[in-house]
Amino acid sequence: MKQRIGVYICHCGGNISDYVDVEKVREAVAQNDGVLIAKTTMFACADSNQKGMVQDIKENQLDGVVVASCSPKLHEITFKAVVERAGLNKYNYVHANIREQVSWPHSDNKAGATQKAIQIVKAAIAKVRLSEAIEPLEVDTTQAVLVIGAGVAGMKAAISLSKMGTKVYLIEREPFIGGRIAQWDVLCLTNETGKELVSRLYTEIVSNKNIALYTGAQLVDCKGSIGNFTAKVKLSPRYVKETCIDKEILKKAINACPVEVPDEFNFGITKRRAIYHNFPAEYPQTAVIDMNSCTRCGKCTEICDKIDLNMKEEFLELKVGSILVATGFDPYTPNEGEFGYNVIDNVITLSQFKRLLAFSEPGKLQWHDKPVKNVAYIYCVGSRQVDGNNKYCSRYCCTATINTALKSNDKFPELNHFHFTRGIRTYGKQEQLYHNASKSGHVFFQSYEDDPCRVEHKNNKTTVKINDILTNRKELEVEADIVVLVTGMVPRSNNNISDILKLPRGRDNFFNEIHMKLRPVETVIDGITIAGACQGPKNVVESINSALSAAIKTYSFVGKDKLMVKPEVAEVTPDLCKWCDECTKACPFDAIFKNEQGVAQVNETVCKGCGMCLPVCPTNAIQLKTFSDIEIASMIDVLANEL
Amino acid sequence: MPFAGKKLYDALVVGGGIAGIESALNLANNNLKVLLVEKDLTLGGKMIMLSKVFPTLDCSACITTPKISEVARHPNITILTNTNILQIEKQDKNYFKARIKEKARYVNISDCTGCQLCEEACPVVVPDQYQYDLVGRKAAYIPFNIASPRVASIDMDNCVLCGACEKACPTGCIDFTQEDKEYEIIAKTVIMATGFNLFDPLKIPRFSYGNSKNVITALQMERLLAPTRPYNHVLRPGDGQVPCNIAYVLCAGSRDLSVGNPICSQICCMYSIKQAQLLMGALPMADVTIYYINIRSFGKGFEEFYEQAKGMGVNFVKGKVGKITETDNGNLILWYEDINQGKVIEKKHDLVVLSVGVLANDEPKKLIQGWEKDEYSFAHQKDLFYTPSLSSIEGVFLAGTTSGPMDIPDSILSAGSAAMEAIRYVKQTSIDL
Repeated sequence: MKQRIGVYICHCGGNISDYVDVEKVREAVAQNDGVLIAKTTMFACADSNQKGMVQDIKENQLDGVVVASCSPKLHEITFKAVVERAGLNKYNYVHANIREQVSWPHSDNKAGATQKAIQIVKAAIAKVRLSEAIEPLEVDTTQAVLVIGAGVAGMKAAISLSKMGTKVYLIEREPFIGGRIAQWDVLCLTNETGKELVSRLYTEIVSNKNIALYTGAQLVDCKGSIGNFTAKVKLSPRYVKETCIDKEILKKAINACPVEVPDEFNFGITKRRAIYHNFPAEYPQTAVIDMNSCTRCGKCTEICDKIDLNMKEEFLELKVGSILVATGFDPYTPNEGEFGYNVIDNVITLSQFKRLLAFSEPGKLQWHDKPVKNVAYIYCVGSRQVDGNNKYCSRYCCTATINTALKSNDKFPELNHFHFTRGIRTYGKQEQLYHNASKSGHVFFQSYEDDPCRVEHKNNKTTVKINDILTNRKELEVEADIVVLVTGMVPRSNNNISDILKLPRGRDNFFNEIHMKLRPVETVIDGITIAGACQGPKNVVESINSALSAAIKTYSFVGKDKLMVKPEVAEVTPDLCKWCDECTKACPFDAIFKNEQGVAQVNETVCKGCGMCLPVCPTNAIQLKTFSDIEIASMIDVLANEL
Repeated sequence: MPFAGKKLYDALVVGGGIAGIESALNLANNNLKVLLVEKDLTLGGKMIMLSKVFPTLDCSACITTPKISEVARHPNITILTNTNILQIEKQDKNYFKARIKEKARYVNISDCTGCQLCEEACPVVVPDQYQYDLVGRKAAYIPFNIASPRVASIDMDNCVLCGACEKACPTGCIDFTQEDKEYEIIAKTVIMATGFNLFDPLKIPRFSYGNSKNVITALQMERLLAPTRPYNHVLRPGDGQVPCNIAYVLCAGSRDLSVGNPICSQICCMYSIKQAQLLMGALPMADVTIYYINIRSFGKGFEEFYEQAKGMGVNFVKGKVGKITETDNGNLILWYEDINQGKVIEKKHDLVVLSVGVLANDEPKKLIQGWEKDEYSFAHQKDLFYTPSLSSIEGVFLAGTTSGPMDIPDSILSAGSAAMEAIRYVKQTSIDL
């Protein structure tokens, strides 16, 4: 039983003290059993208060500490570090949340809020009284990293990690690397193209001995935890050997292929064969056969002996200390008929339009053999949806569209641009592009939030109509040769990574960080970081910045031989265990096994301390360290007694 | 770590705002020895002055202070506040020589306990720059409650040398004989996290800032809303009345060629929306109107935050405000072009907040040779996509708003990015210092 407990109650500026009478809380708990010191403080987290706490603990030989402040998600780590600095075991610290759980939700009832705060603090004191000092677990770390996704974010992260001397496995699901940027061609604010950027990254990766790049590689399973993950990766064969370097022969082999399917690299507006490469961004420079469409007719193998249709898929088992996820985004696919998509022939997406501009001959932009002169862009397709689920803004699209339109005139001076917007969001320096576009004759319209523009097709003519904001809802119309739907970013649709790695998603369905400002690249799964657009819409620079931030965080996990991990794990009392197997079934992390004595045992480095095994044990043989039954019961006693 | 005249460092981080702090932590956690230099009396930059931050409404101090505390006690980080960089010179062997000047505080930091008795004793009152001049402070003062270091300083420009503070100080740490000190240090890499300047609304006389006391900047409103607010309530500065009809003028000094700043400041829409939400909580009876050109709520969770503000009843009006005039009772008339109605409208408000924008801090240009800037005076990013944090000088990296307008999450990511490149750079330069 702890008898020298220090209790600190935080004003949080006014966040707490505006609604909770913190002085009253202090008075109510000061005489509690075992409480030696009870203080209030303006900001418990401020450096000056932290120093004061350290002094208090040392001078009074405190054996337990409670801070009543904000959510433990924000500052439990902070205060555990404080008590540790003072020489106290950090598990003799208990956090009481009187902001998120009290002052904020009960701002309408100050007396009630104060009473609730008193009970919560008393319960925390009850818990700290029974707390036991435990030591963190030390695990050996594997000094290697798995980077998932070889788009710009994944590639840049891999390069940086490798330069720190870390072994990097970079896996890419597609047969070619470069992700979306390889498809993107012109980028904004510099003249570097997507292809050039990807080439630079690729060149650096292949010349780097610390990076093992696998294409056609898919994560299928992952076990273990921070410091020691074992990732199982499925490698799909290319069916074309790397030794196939004679371009002429390969070209003939490709041309011999009788199969034609939509080319996903060009978002379906051109066709490719079953044997193909992503022209022009073809890294690695070995062709691939798409077995989903290949008929195994063997025509290509007759021409090129480096093609082998009998190659088999392989599996790799990678041992890594940390995983960096950079799986990117999908462009939103409009629904059938959404602004005429898939119904009117000349309605395409921005992604498709960018490919069309990239591969068309200069001065001759055509769509389905008709010359294109007037281009209408419809913004926010799939973003900021009033009715749909995508409430968020996709961030990059306003700038990308204006930039694409501006640069298209270098190659196609004949194009006229009509932008149907919902308010242009060229934030920061990108504003200059909007300004330039306005000056060079682009026409911008803006629709009302409740009144989107419409695409109509009559008498072989496609028109876009809008009740424009500048003309006070007067209907304006533009006859367009091509209508470009400015599609936003959505999470990758066929991304099973989140299931395998158990990564949580936010309400926008992108992967979620722990805290946007405190821990912006970490996930709730220790040792797994996220980078780039899999976390939410980002442009290239923002993706690279997030990739490097994730890389430095990842490096901090694997840069040392040993890592300390949380000891708040389940523990089996062997004498009570009758081995019924219920706990292993309940464990979502495969952390429990039957040991040589025939009873359950917990693998402490794998256990996450989730507690799922506790209630299923019929003999009550499992306890969770720091959340034992007696600790929880003591808290309930206090909370219930006050009722 | 105390400075103690140490000369050699792996990295010099210039600027102790959130970007500098984040950079320093990233470097130090990877075992680099860091010197963090801040020209102000305290770490924290602009972020520590904010109330809450969008879109999560976390209290800003709650996020900044633990990071500052971590920096302050990190064994690999040495901090110098109230210190100017005089010059940084790149030496041919891939290291940098910096001359720095630690300005006299006239207080011995190690002995000051932050008891504030000197503050009580000081007879001089001047506008408090940390409260954006909303209230006064003494000439002997600590910057604010959660300053780091939380120690006193004497503002010699305003001190009358009466000696009252010296008598009041229980530890005898006030020393009027203190002088500026110059040092020369050597670092293998430099991170510039010098932040941004706020647009000065006096440059737009038609907004009446400076003439009408009830026209304030958004940073002043941050202070009025902060947990450590000066009046402990949202009051208008002109007469102390509780405002009930508040207007926000967006793009004050941004997207405006007439003041020479054509670009968008990237943060003002969101901080205004945030303040509007906080005002609805602080003053439930008040009306809040936001006059905008375009609302730019582009980041993660931002659009939802904007929708939330609309749902709470914030009135969004698409129209650029042209002129603000004051009436006899301190109320204000806004003249704006209402886009929906296509005409100029006059509207009365009792408090006007100018959502001032972000301007480049081009001080680095004076500090280091070879520094190139872009057309808006922000740092030139030499290799924008491949190494966004690289400046025009090899080995000098950019964190936060040094390279352009950014919100806090982006600043933090850019600081991580700069730190990663700086570590890589230090690793590859195998010079022995």
